[in-house]
Amino acid sequence: MINRWNRREFLQKTSAATLAALAAGAPIPGLLSGCSGAEKDKAKKQANVRGTADTVILLWMAGGMAHTETFDPKRYTPYETGMEGNRVLSTFKSMPTALDGIHFSDGLQSIGKVMDRGTLIRSYVAADMGHILHSRHQYHWHTSYEPPQTVAAPHLGSWIAKELGPKNPVIPAFIDIGQRFTVGEAEELKAFHTAGFLGNEFGPFFIPDPSQGLESVRPPIGMDARRFERRNQLYNELISNSPVGEFGSDYQKESLRRSMEQAYRLLNSPEAKAFDLSTEPKHIYERYNTGRFGLGCLLARRLTEQGARFISVTTEYEPFKGWDTHENGHSRLEDMKCQIDGPIAQLILDLEKTGHLDRTMIILASEFSRDMMVEGRPDAKVQEQVKQPDILTDPKFYGMHRHFTDGCSVLMFGGGIKKGFVYGKTADERPCKTIEKPIHIEGIHQTIYHALGIASDTHYEVEKRPFYITPDGVAKPVMDLLV
Amino acid sequence: MTIVAESFWLWQFLGRLHPLIVHFPVGLLCVALVLEVISWFRKSTELRAGINAMLWIGTISAILAAGLGLVLVNQEDYAGKGVLVHQWSGLATMVLAILTVIALRSGRVNLYRSLLILTVVGVSVAGHYGALLTHGEDYISSVLPFGDQPNVANSPANNAMFASLNTSKQLTAKQVQELNLEIRSILAHNCYSCHSATKTKGELRLDSKALIMKGGKHGAILKAGHPEDSEIIRRITLPADDKEAMPTKGKRLTENEVALLSLWIKAGAPWPSGAEKSIYRVAALEPRLPILPAATVDINNPIDRLVNVYFHKNKIEWKSVVDDRTYMRRVYLDIIGLLPTPAKIQAFEADTRPDKREALVKELLSRNGDYAQHWITFWNDALRNDYSGTGYITGGRFDITQWLYASLKKNKPYNWFVRELISPTKESSGFIKGIKWRGTINSSQRTEMQAAQNVAQVLLGLNLKCASCHDSFISDWKLADAYAFANVFADTTLEINRCDKPTGKMAGRQVLFKELGQISVDAPTEKRLRELADFLVQPKDGRLYRTLVNRIWAQLMGRGIVEPVDAMDNEPWSQDLLDWLAYDFVQNGYDIKKLIYTITTSKTYQLPSVGVKDADLVMAPTYVFEGMVRRRLTAEQFADAVSLAFNPIYQDTSIVKMLPKTIQKEIAFPRASLVKNDPFLTALGRPNRETVSTSRTSQANLLQALELTNGTTFNEALKRGAEQWKAKYPSSDLLVKELYRKSLGRDPKPKEMIVAQKIVGVQPSVEGIEDLVWAISLHPEFQLIY
Repeated sequence: MINRWNRREFLQKTSAATLAALAAGAPIPGLLSGCSGAEKDKAKKQANVRGTADTVILLWMAGGMAHTETFDPKRYTPYETGMEGNRVLSTFKSMPTALDGIHFSDGLQSIGKVMDRGTLIRSYVAADMGHILHSRHQYHWHTSYEPPQTVAAPHLGSWIAKELGPKNPVIPAFIDIGQRFTVGEAEELKAFHTAGFLGNEFGPFFIPDPSQGLESVRPPIGMDARRFERRNQLYNELISNSPVGEFGSDYQKESLRRSMEQAYRLLNSPEAKAFDLSTEPKHIYERYNTGRFGLGCLLARRLTEQGARFISVTTEYEPFKGWDTHENGHSRLEDMKCQIDGPIAQLILDLEKTGHLDRTMIILASEFSRDMMVEGRPDAKVQEQVKQPDILTDPKFYGMHRHFTDGCSVLMFGGGIKKGFVYGKTADERPCKTIEKPIHIEGIHQTIYHALGIASDTHYEVEKRPFYITPDGVAKPVMDLLV
Repeated sequence: MTIVAESFWLWQFLGRLHPLIVHFPVGLLCVALVLEVISWFRKSTELRAGINAMLWIGTISAILAAGLGLVLVNQEDYAGKGVLVHQWSGLATMVLAILTVIALRSGRVNLYRSLLILTVVGVSVAGHYGALLTHGEDYISSVLPFGDQPNVANSPANNAMFASLNTSKQLTAKQVQELNLEIRSILAHNCYSCHSATKTKGELRLDSKALIMKGGKHGAILKAGHPEDSEIIRRITLPADDKEAMPTKGKRLTENEVALLSLWIKAGAPWPSGAEKSIYRVAALEPRLPILPAATVDINNPIDRLVNVYFHKNKIEWKSVVDDRTYMRRVYLDIIGLLPTPAKIQAFEADTRPDKREALVKELLSRNGDYAQHWITFWNDALRNDYSGTGYITGGRFDITQWLYASLKKNKPYNWFVRELISPTKESSGFIKGIKWRGTINSSQRTEMQAAQNVAQVLLGLNLKCASCHDSFISDWKLADAYAFANVFADTTLEINRCDKPTGKMAGRQVLFKELGQISVDAPTEKRLRELADFLVQPKDGRLYRTLVNRIWAQLMGRGIVEPVDAMDNEPWSQDLLDWLAYDFVQNGYDIKKLIYTITTSKTYQLPSVGVKDADLVMAPTYVFEGMVRRRLTAEQFADAVSLAFNPIYQDTSIVKMLPKTIQKEIAFPRASLVKNDPFLTALGRPNRETVSTSRTSQANLLQALELTNGTTFNEALKRGAEQWKAKYPSSDLLVKELYRKSLGRDPKPKEMIVAQKIVGVQPSVEGIEDLVWAISLHPEFQLIY
């Protein structure tokens, strides 16, 4: 209740200001868009919202990660030819974790061992949008708005970049690791990998291949440091010796010079070395090296240590690849778990060791879950994306191949998240849907924003309409998840 | 909208019982003490049984209250010193009350009485801090005629307010209007969901003057002139957990919103006369021909004659027009999006004809291909036409590239252009067909509604987005209007959805401006669209043409006569100029090139450019026109400028394949407007064309600078070019001169030559050339249209 203000004093003060503004002929809307006004925001941030985190790492399980095959295992039924799919809830055995009575699916032992450092959410419910579609659900997850929208909705990372700016001025505030845009549905992916109406400035800095991270922050290929420095120096010299002064000082020119200077500083900074995975000790590098995702985790760790603000690391979305299992679900998941288990656990342990975990929030999530029988959610009839047989005549049908939205797992670690905590529950029999404490995307976003000290009703006026950080600004952080 | 279940409801419920239960210990224990004192004075025991009962019930309820209080403080967002004091004094009181009861039972009268007094002290302290939490610091003191008031009134800001109010200086009509817009907007945003025609909780409606003044079930909600006595202010300023607090659900009102409501009540809750009169500025629909001021020797272009009046009024002196080189660079970039070649500049500077500038503009406008290749960027943004993007993959989107390119190249009269967008051929149907995502979508985003929104925004400069979900609170547009308009585009009759919920009402069929014509409600879609197109392009639809001329003006001048360019109800900085341009446009056969000619040959256009320190100032309503606002090159202009001055950024293979071969053949070099969006263009500001986009930002940023510093697209083009230049220009002197002429349209100054030669080396090296071109293309002089 600290944000309670002295009502009378407040009324008098602000209405005086308002009246003064009116008298001066200033437009009142300016006052309203004070929602984005730095003064008020700052006051609000200090007063209303506590900040327990400075950095966010999103570990994105692209393509729909089945909860019963990962962090919420159910009864295991081994494969038999001719078996009814309906009998199968999990295709893996479950293994104990660091938390009493909490089991993970086989293959996630390393994450299981560090689960006492974070919170396991077992009740994430994804939206129903008629068809269960990866691109629309991913859009929804990352922006908290269902596509399409009349206004280009900003990505979670862009909101954070806009509200908090970079943590270290030479490291871009929003870094997106691992997604290439040359794959199927690339245009749909681009639609939410954007700062939307907030402006390109807050958009993602893409590093599609973490092992090539350095390429993005070093002088162009074939240019050594000396030439790079000289080029920059002569550039400045050229400008100061040109008659450019006659254009006076305007914001375009100033912002151009400033951003060139910033880019130069980044590319020349010691922090840029963080992008270079080859400088990592071999034995640690190998712990992460399960492929591009694993190395993405390593890059995320290194950037976090140098002061990154928001980093997304994805297993990469590509239709019918990765977590998007429409056949061979069981064997494909063995691979996927292998890719993520070691690196994620290592990331958490490494950040803990260096003390960064206290102020870094890590979130592992996916756009929805999967089930062998149910497409969408139990009571909603939605069109099936890929035909699946009810009787398993071949091992390739053994796995979670349909899209399921009614119960998904999310992991959260660090940055003020409770330790060793389990939130929500799904049913132990099909449909394995959320039966306790459902949580939706707005709640997840608000919890992240809250931990970062961003007010839940943050908004901007776009075409005279308020656009909130989550739809209508009504959702609240899930305080249960926070210490 | 789903509201996240934060925590188990029972805990929340129990916690919120705390403020209810606390009244028992407060009341009972205090009265018990009073009775105890009375008994002590009277030395009587007749009250004993009652006192004992009060103590017992008081103590039990104190324990209960403390418990619930602990639940509450953990459930909700309480923090701070006040809460701590309240919590611990409450717990202490509970302990004291228990001790009091124990002392009473053990018969130790003096101890018991002392403890009772302490308990009541405790209850008072805890109660006081609790009340501060719920009612605010000065709940009681604020109604006193003395106290901290002088303090507040001493601040200068407040003096200003009191001065204004005490001298009973009336707000001007305009201020009342603005205030009302805010009030209605606040009520609409925060209160309508429960207090309007749709839902009327507490028998209170806030959607009209009469209903607000009438109040609700419990009587009046405001007392004009007295915000402090107004129920509405009391309710919205209660703490969120108070059961009387408003709004009961969702977001609290902001401080500014509360302040505005209070100010409004203090000012007597003024409301424009006549409930029906709009409180929004609504631009006239019909065209208007303003009286042109007489021409003088210097000032004969109609634009200049009108601007001259504006300058007089704003005490602005005419400056002399820019030199030939600057003018040439401007018109080249503005009309065809390219830099002039050194030869052209030389010839133009040497030309002695008095009308050479007019001749130059004519020549540029006649370069039909170049013109189309430049302006297609603007129209692609506005009509959200793109060569790649969402929707294409599932056949949910159609491009209009060929139609658009051909229309621009032919300079299709704008009335025909609009007609073909609304009542389309196959090639132009993409605009109103919109983007269809698979699955269910919000009803305000169905493709018919997209068509209504986009036609309204792009062609009519009005915002229908609010009204496609609910009655707008930034304009008079109603949900029914938006649906009636969308329904014109629909094959079946649309059901009106309010905030994505079906209302059971079917939409009518109507043009937004009914005076333009009546749609045949039952006609097939094709016929209806033909009617709509005919209605909208009529000369009497002044709005359509004002919107267009304002957009073109903004493209050429860096700022519209009305801003934002999509909000044509806003006040123009010169109504006469806007009206004249629109009127003249219609008179001249809807000819966009003619319009561009009129503007670019005016003295007004030729004034020196104006630099702005802060981007927000350009769009501010306080903006005063003094000349073209300096702009940065668009992504496409920049890429093309580098391509022409040095070496093509894009290879032939980049050109989108959807253009017919005939067009592909006539393209001199791969222009950026005709390639798919890529990281390079995105970084430089090409929007993803998922939504309509009618202006681009001029501000540079880090991601852009990074792309320009080490991005592959740019650096590879530099490398390819450097090799050719090295072969062509063996001496650095020649090379630098040529590069300056081609890119900046001038020779290097001696000092610049020295630095440039340092970069390229005496014998130009490939690396040196790359670095010099890089430095020049990032030079503000290269990057700006000035």
